[in-house]
Amino acid sequence: MSKFIIFIIFIIFITIIIPEVSAIPMDSSRFKIESANVEIAGGNKSSTSYKLADTVGQLAAGQYSSTGYVVKAGFQYLHSIIPFRFSISDINIAFGTLVPSTPSTATTNLTVYFGGAGQYQVTAIEEGPLKTQSLNVIPDTSCDGGANTCNESLAKVWSSASAYGFGYGMSGNDIPADFIDSTYYRPFPDRTSAESPATVMTSINVGKNRSSTVTFKANISSIQPAGSYQTVINFVATPSY
Amino acid sequence: MKYQKLSSPRRRGSSLSITSLNSDFSLDSRPCLRSQVHGNDKFIYNFFLLFFYLFIFLFVYSGNASAQQVSLSLSPPLLELFIKPGKAIMVAYKLDNLGDPTFLNLKILPFETKDNLGNIRIKPEFEGPVRFSLDNADLTLDQPFFLKTNGSQQILLRIRIPENITDGDYYYSLLAETTPPTASEGIGSARAKATIGSNILVTISNSGNIDIKPKISLFSTRGGLTLGQNIKFFDSSDQIPVVLTVVNKGKNMMKPEGQISLKGNFGETIKYDIISKNILAESERLLEATPSASVECGDRRDAKFCVSTLILSGFFIGKYNLSTEIRFGENSPTIFGSTIFYAFPFKITGGIILAIVIVVFILSRHFREDGN
Repeated sequence: MSKFIIFIIFIIFITIIIPEVSAIPMDSSRFKIESANVEIAGGNKSSTSYKLADTVGQLAAGQYSSTGYVVKAGFQYLHSIIPFRFSISDINIAFGTLVPSTPSTATTNLTVYFGGAGQYQVTAIEEGPLKTQSLNVIPDTSCDGGANTCNESLAKVWSSASAYGFGYGMSGNDIPADFIDSTYYRPFPDRTSAESPATVMTSINVGKNRSSTVTFKANISSIQPAGSYQTVINFVATPSY
Repeated sequence: MKYQKLSSPRRRGSSLSITSLNSDFSLDSRPCLRSQVHGNDKFIYNFFLLFFYLFIFLFVYSGNASAQQVSLSLSPPLLELFIKPGKAIMVAYKLDNLGDPTFLNLKILPFETKDNLGNIRIKPEFEGPVRFSLDNADLTLDQPFFLKTNGSQQILLRIRIPENITDGDYYYSLLAETTPPTASEGIGSARAKATIGSNILVTISNSGNIDIKPKISLFSTRGGLTLGQNIKFFDSSDQIPVVLTVVNKGKNMMKPEGQISLKGNFGETIKYDIISKNILAESERLLEATPSASVECGDRRDAKFCVSTLILSGFFIGKYNLSTEIRFGENSPTIFGSTIFYAFPFKITGGIILAIVIVVFILSRHFREDGN
């Protein structure tokens, strides 16, 4: 009987004394804290006499020191739960059957989430021109030519049906300023020609969701040999430093 | 019950059909044959029922056919390592595949600064003394591995600094790249490869000391009317972009901290904190300050206002002194810069003068007509 009473008292004690398990409130009607280190708590704490940047509960996050090295992970001036993320809506950009002097276009969307990365860039480079296995090549475009001659870093108008080649245009967020409208195109830099990748999206402002559309365009002449013309375009998204 | 009601007329139809084909047979007089026909009838009924269900299922539950997409996430996006020669550390990364299943390849390549805006240029070949490897049992660098949709892979990256390495900075990117889809025969196509990166900044120092040589290369306002060498005038209602660029001629990266102060002719002062972004060795960087006014840049990344350190907005009048003080940590030099600008309500004054001229003109003409 005495054991039973002790057991009851113990249960009551446990129930009354131990506090509730609760989440750390991180917002109110006036503020909301977003933290890069979401496991327990993270962010800046400050008063008139101190300022502290802490990271708790995440592997290799924040700053720690040991004999011989110091490691900092992430951007100390940013406290965002948005990870660095890169998406391409369609990685198979098919032109269908190419018809001479009839430009074919295909599009794909690039999306970057970079709240936790400060700023970002997306570059593009082709792993060689559009070519068949027998090495017939659709050359990179130079747009309409003359005053409208484009290159890897400058978009110009490409609207003539007799201007042949392969290139791309852009619309949307954070794109280069020379893509003035949908008639402006550039050729891709060619890795096999040791050219540097072209920056196709970049921003120095923190953002959540930035998206652009890449329009691929190919136009062939009537003497272009038949075949399956293929290439690979490498889009590289990197945060800043 | 429903089955019987439905099946009953179909059974009759089936019976009639067989009778018509085999007029010598009477189903009613051959019970075994009748049960066989009923069995076939049931089979056909079940077949049609199954077909109906599958048909409905196809339209209700199947999703739209969609293009093959990739979506990758890699964290942390930046790693700063200050380390002695002969030491090694292990860092855990997390790679998420939020798109279609894909094969991924991990590699490390060095990078250099591309401009003063924080953009980088990744070099095509590995170089430098830092050694990288993976501690994962089932992963190695430059070997493809499969990651399913919504799959996550922890990457245990070991960074090792050999002995007797010269002090200095080395910058790398950890890159995760997808394998492009297989080519479609018979058509022209471009296949896209997606690569996501995370930057690694390594400072090697045997003594623990670093070599930084900061200098303000540009601290000025943009736009406005320039008189003489460096006296700038703005309209009182203009948004005023401020540009602050710092160059680092040292061998190690540095992290600026400080403020930009705006002091008016009545002594009023506003302070803006400089965002502590890294300035790599032997490079320069446009700094940013906050809180800054913002302007609508559209989608163009290189609009004039969008690449400034700070945008001042408000109603300015008189002489203003902009100054900055930048520190780079303990035992490091503090650098200063200042510039001035003037603001007057040119537009309002011009409007008032124009209005006065028009009124005077009208009145003088009115009085002249009265005099005549």
